[in-house]
Amino acid sequence: MRRLGRAALLLVLSATTCAVADVGDFTPAELSRIAAHGPWPLSWTPDPGNRVSGNAAAIRLGRDLFFEPRLSANRRVACASCHDPAKGFQDGRITARGLVTGTRNTPGLLNVRQQRWFGWDGGHDNLWSASLRPILDAKEMGGSAARAARVLRSRTALDCHYRQAFGKPPAAGDPELLVNIAKAIAAWQETLISPPSPFDEFRDALTRGDTRAAAAYPAAAQRGLRLFLGRGQCATCHAGPLFTNGEFGDIGIPFFIQPEGVDPGRQGGIKRLLANFYNLLGAHNDDATRNNATATRHLRPEHRNFGEFKVPSLRNLTLTAPYMHNGSLATLREVARHYSELDEDRLHADGERILKPLKLSPQEVDDLVAFLESLSPSKALPAPHAPPTVDACHAP
Amino acid sequence: MKSYAKRYPLAGRRWRHADSVRKALAILAAGLTTGAMNAACPPDAADGAVLTKGELVLAYRPLLADKSSRIPMAKHFALEVQLCDPEGVSIARLHKADATMPEHRHGMNYRTLITPLGSGRFRIEGMMFHMAGHWQLAFEIQAGGETTRITHDVQIE
Ligand code: HEC
Ligand code: HEC
Repeated sequence: MRRLGRAALLLVLSATTCAVADVGDFTPAELSRIAAHGPWPLSWTPDPGNRVSGNAAAIRLGRDLFFEPRLSANRRVACASCHDPAKGFQDGRITARGLVTGTRNTPGLLNVRQQRWFGWDGGHDNLWSASLRPILDAKEMGGSAARAARVLRSRTALDCHYRQAFGKPPAAGDPELLVNIAKAIAAWQETLISPPSPFDEFRDALTRGDTRAAAAYPAAAQRGLRLFLGRGQCATCHAGPLFTNGEFGDIGIPFFIQPEGVDPGRQGGIKRLLANFYNLLGAHNDDATRNNATATRHLRPEHRNFGEFKVPSLRNLTLTAPYMHNGSLATLREVARHYSELDEDRLHADGERILKPLKLSPQEVDDLVAFLESLSPSKALPAPHAPPTVDACHAP
Repeated sequence: MKSYAKRYPLAGRRWRHADSVRKALAILAAGLTTGAMNAACPPDAADGAVLTKGELVLAYRPLLADKSSRIPMAKHFALEVQLCDPEGVSIARLHKADATMPEHRHGMNYRTLITPLGSGRFRIEGMMFHMAGHWQLAFEIQAGGETTRITHDVQIE
């Protein structure tokens, strides 16, 4: 109450006329849990496993290749075909469509540098191997080293930036060629960072004790936040500044695939990861200490992994509908209703015990949605990262 | 070894089991008078949380890369363990280390690797508490054909 009084006083003093919502009286425990979802953005550090991480020529090359359809077998599918910058770097489809239609929803790529596992099943432990997969995947781009080398040599800028980044010309016979390309595309994706959201402004204002600034955050979002941290127990999995603990869970989204078959989720992901030549235990990891391979080295497969999927970040959701690994929920309201009506029979017998149908009232559904929406930036996203200028490469 | 303590201070965990700590100190005080202690024993505050079961004393301490003193949520960390018995460093071997969330009925997503460092000291790698809440650490110690299990409750925020 005192806090409210102070906010009111400040308002009078500054003679502001705009209407402001009340700031709920959060308990000290709630305040510290709110603070744990920031600050944002996180500090950026280069990826030790990628020697061209942060390298200007590589970032420039990676950006050009991300939008390059000639890497694909039919010369029409680029990374950006599915990861559209205007849609939070995803495609808005239920499941992805490359050379053929896939079975999973395309994830957005904002803040992708901060992930521990890549893909809904965590089938990759690093960003460059996750970027190599679609180039070679017959269902997505169906590319090859020979095709990639041709593309690089076809334009002075591509060829030159490749030489600058890797110190040698692009050669189809070089076993490093595709990995290098993937590392350059990864270096560019590492620069995709979403700006602060209304939630971040609220969180920062609360942390500095600036009640007046905090009061700009809508009351519905504040109630939704309280639900998120409290009864909903959402933050148990959607934790930290990225709103994910980076691990896997089963929240009862069906894992059947049309026309028949199942998506084994994390169980298949672990198999794929350990069989992958380009994982962090392999020779292409540029971190000589192998400290970045701790997670992969210590992985423990469990029965419960079957049907588990990665806990997604909740930032930028307003840009990335539809939701879930199979794109089965079209709106955030449907997501809130899913957690409200949760079918416990669908959950794993040996799965998480914290999920219970929340039985939300219509008002609580609205509040939760208002909160989730407040995790997206209010301002338009900056245009796809302006590529840095690199000396001595002139486009033809 | 002890220089780790400076680099990786341990604080901020709310240790339960104040009782067992007191008991451990009593046992150790008794041990001291026998004069047969190894330099590493008895463990002190620099060795972290001190737990006892029967004759065994186990101290453990997280080794954190950053200067923050609490076990972080959803990040990998390592532990350093010191095993002692009243006669000094015992022949006991740290055989297993694991952690579970009893209320959630699941454990960690990672398996630990134990490296003996000599003089009853062990390093445990690959730990990660991937959710906030109540975790139970469990150490399995083998000595003289017997297995002893020591557990410790930790609250992660
Ligand atoms: C046909 C559509 C399509 C194309 C083309 C495509 N992707 Fe994807 N991308 C997806 C889908 C679907 C997933 C999820 C895959 C999974 O769960 O295994 C994904 C996942 C990813 C991820 C992991 C993201 C995360 O948060 O887990 C990265 C990184 C990525 N793609 C980068 C790229 C790059 C780089 C290219 C171009 C070389 C590319 N993608 C081309 C559809 C596509
Ligand atoms: C047990 C861990 C867990 C808890 C608790 C949890 N979630 Fe999730 N959440 C997940 C997982 C795992 C997925 C992805 C599931 C899938 O695709 O099969 C997910 C998906 C989502 C998505 C879709 C995001 C996207 O990009 O597709 C939203 C939104 C979401 N959760 C919000 C919430 C809210 C709100 C709560 C609390 C009411 C909550 N979650 C509680 C694990 C959890």
